[in-house]
Amino acid sequence: METFDLVVIGAGPGGYPCAIRAAQLGASVAIIEREQLGGTCLNWGCIPTKALISGAELYSRISDATTRGIKATGVAIDYAALVAHKNRAVEQLRNGINQLLHAHGVKQFSGTARFVDRTTLEIKSADGTARLSAKKVVIATGSTSVMPAFLPEHPRVVESRAFLGMEELPESLLVLGGGYIGCELACMAAQCGVKVTIVELLEDILLVLDPDVRREVRTHMEQKLGIRVMTGRSLDSVAADGSGLTCKCGNDTLHVGMVLAAVGRRPVTDGLNLEAAGIKTDERGFVRVDEFGRTNVANIFAVGDVTGRVQLAHYATAQGIAVAETVCGQKPRKFESVVPCVIFTSPEIAFVGLTEEEARKQNRQVLTGKFRYSALGRAVAAGETSGFVKWIVDPETDQLLGAAAVGPHATELIAEAAVAVRAELTATELAHTIHAHPTFGEMWMEAAHAVHGQCIHAPPRRKK
Amino acid sequence: MPTPITMPKFGQMTEESTIVEWRKKEGDKVAKGDVLFTVETDKSVMDVEAFTEGILLKIVVPAGVAVPVQTVVGYIGQPGEPVPVTEVPKFGKPVPSVASTVSPPVVPTTARAVPQPAPVAAEVQPLQPVTVPHAPVAAPVFRISPRAEALARECAIDPTKITGTGPNGRILERDVRAYLDARGYHNLRITPAALELARKQKVDVLEVRGTGAGGRITVADIQRALAERPKPMSKMRQVIAQRLTQSFTTQPHFYVTVSVDMTELIAFREGLKAAGAPFTVTDFIAQAVVLTLQEFPVVNSSTDGKNVRWHSHVNLGIAVSVEGGLVVPVIHMAEELTFLDLCMRAKQLVEKARAGKLTPEEMSGGTFTITNMGMLNVESFHPIINTGEGAILAVASTLKQPAVRNDQIVIRSLMKMTLAADHRLIDGALAANFINAIKAKLEDIELWKRLTSW
Repeated sequence: METFDLVVIGAGPGGYPCAIRAAQLGASVAIIEREQLGGTCLNWGCIPTKALISGAELYSRISDATTRGIKATGVAIDYAALVAHKNRAVEQLRNGINQLLHAHGVKQFSGTARFVDRTTLEIKSADGTARLSAKKVVIATGSTSVMPAFLPEHPRVVESRAFLGMEELPESLLVLGGGYIGCELACMAAQCGVKVTIVELLEDILLVLDPDVRREVRTHMEQKLGIRVMTGRSLDSVAADGSGLTCKCGNDTLHVGMVLAAVGRRPVTDGLNLEAAGIKTDERGFVRVDEFGRTNVANIFAVGDVTGRVQLAHYATAQGIAVAETVCGQKPRKFESVVPCVIFTSPEIAFVGLTEEEARKQNRQVLTGKFRYSALGRAVAAGETSGFVKWIVDPETDQLLGAAAVGPHATELIAEAAVAVRAELTATELAHTIHAHPTFGEMWMEAAHAVHGQCIHAPPRRKK
Repeated sequence: MPTPITMPKFGQMTEESTIVEWRKKEGDKVAKGDVLFTVETDKSVMDVEAFTEGILLKIVVPAGVAVPVQTVVGYIGQPGEPVPVTEVPKFGKPVPSVASTVSPPVVPTTARAVPQPAPVAAEVQPLQPVTVPHAPVAAPVFRISPRAEALARECAIDPTKITGTGPNGRILERDVRAYLDARGYHNLRITPAALELARKQKVDVLEVRGTGAGGRITVADIQRALAERPKPMSKMRQVIAQRLTQSFTTQPHFYVTVSVDMTELIAFREGLKAAGAPFTVTDFIAQAVVLTLQEFPVVNSSTDGKNVRWHSHVNLGIAVSVEGGLVVPVIHMAEELTFLDLCMRAKQLVEKARAGKLTPEEMSGGTFTITNMGMLNVESFHPIINTGEGAILAVASTLKQPAVRNDQIVIRSLMKMTLAADHRLIDGALAANFINAIKAKLEDIELWKRLTSW
């Protein structure tokens, strides 16, 4: 039986960086993957959605560009070709991971891992079973979509993974769940010309966001993209017939070509046999870890979605790297607490640190500084004028507690805010930092000035 | 004519109260029943509601000042009405020194967290302003130039640690700079927000150890330094501190522990519970104590070291843990109550205690206290007598344990009880007899059958 310093279960964005970092630090590392390198993120999540969304967005921008002097006739979307592009992108990146793992000397095993005891893993694959001995184990098995039980099993009732694998889009789509996955795919489909309805049980979509950010996105989705958003409503039943699906939603009956369920994700631990190693999970099945990624079993760690914390690829990667360093005997490093979140709706949304609502819930005084795209030279020149950026500031210390951006390039813009929040910068420091003109990034500087009512490109605040 | 607002009298014993917080500002509209301010007496914290409506014209007594009851603290009236010039009450009047050791052997003081103002002088010293570590000490005059002071403030350091080279030891800017160099200030790494917080809160950053990357001082480090600053304890904790120190230093404690076999009583209680009777284990112990105290009047007594007073009633205190401390509601004349009444009264008082709604009367006059940590998984513990009482009974958890019965080892549910007794009143033999009498009652199922058949 081969023995490794570290065995990583799952080669997603949490697992493979963990394996590579440990190998860089001199450990002998094995990684076990039962499906594809790159996990959900690369194969059925972040990357494929972005490939599709960028195509859909380009199409919608070209269609809207006549006011800016672009005459384009006969613009049409060839969804099958877009999917082919997506598949090429995914394959290219997957090969990249394969090469990186090889180059770092990480030994790859393909198959399903199962704990025999806390240091022994059995791998089942088509070729048979193998056993590995592991001094340390990192569980990075991720999560998968929850399928509500009342939905019928039908090829036109899908979750995000199946949706992304389709070769063509339906004419109409009902999205169940107004979280970020549901909203991203709803926007993408709507931009490709699909008639989209979102049904959300809670009082609004994207409830993690502050109300002003939500309002901006929802208005755009409803008015520009023509998405019907039904909030505070439950989907009562879905019935398939010859021509499509009939959905009952209270008094409304909707006839749609497809239903996409995006109601949350559950941990993937099936077949792992966690009990054999004595690993504790919480009531929803997530592997419980402390802020260093340690499970209740001394030699076993977990990172990423399977831990039930923020379910984002980049957070999993940061956790994976931190845990790799801990495993290799460096000073244990806590998981980072400043996690930027990006949502590829139209318009894009990004936020980091505390939201205004969270800050107020902590019983703090909160100051905000907002700046709208419409007041920014670059945005006006580029014809991208909807949206705003916002700082959330502690008035006592001037500390930047959090930031949100909604509008074009918001997901790129948030990087600066993440650095500022993590470095505990003050609004004054940020405002004094020269931002190149004309760029979208200037908005952070302007908004930081706005915190103190000293914004140059905005009228003075009305005195109360 | 504006209506005066007076400081209410909360209990017969309350002489003086402090407004903790005004909930209305001068000029605010006040409706009948609005909470005007919160008051802290020596026993509890309560809201005071308006009994007229109008505008809060004037606040005469600000928050944080102790004034006698019935003092006018403010006025409610119509806008523009003149407010009578009131004689401002004597603020911060000297408080009599705590606890003369020779207190008359009269009313015993009681509740643990809730002293009576007299006669065992339970008044708590007014809060001393907390000395911040780097606050200048009174004696030599602290001299610093404005530029030096501004620089020290900017750098978030404590200027009192700097030696001045100016006239009369005045600190000059160059002294601050020399000090900064000597202390290696320029190697200090701190985040902008942490520096700003340190300036605002006057934290000396040279005394803070950074835990960020490369020893960088973060906001969390400054917050830790702030949390370490001495701050006044809550009134409740101050009362606990004062009373328990008094008891522990003036009443010589000794302890007697017994193990009670609760197996049958628990089974009996389960039967009652199934039939819908409300008794808790604490109720059985309370009833057993009440019965036993009547057999041992010496235990139900108080002393000042010279005189002894035997109490004619059993006023049973029950320690209740509440957020931030504990209170001891008292079941007065418990010997007059039936077992069911005792149980209901205890339940009612405990609920009021948890809700913070006990009146001062309900927290005073106790003659003996029970403290039960049975729910907290402890094998035994040594309690401190409630000041002025003769003894206290500590009840620990009931645990399944091996016990010897008829020379056989069997599993029984055993509960340890510890009596802490004031040796001035009670000797070892008496304490042993007393606690064994309680134990005997708890193990006597026939007694409980009798007490619960109605």
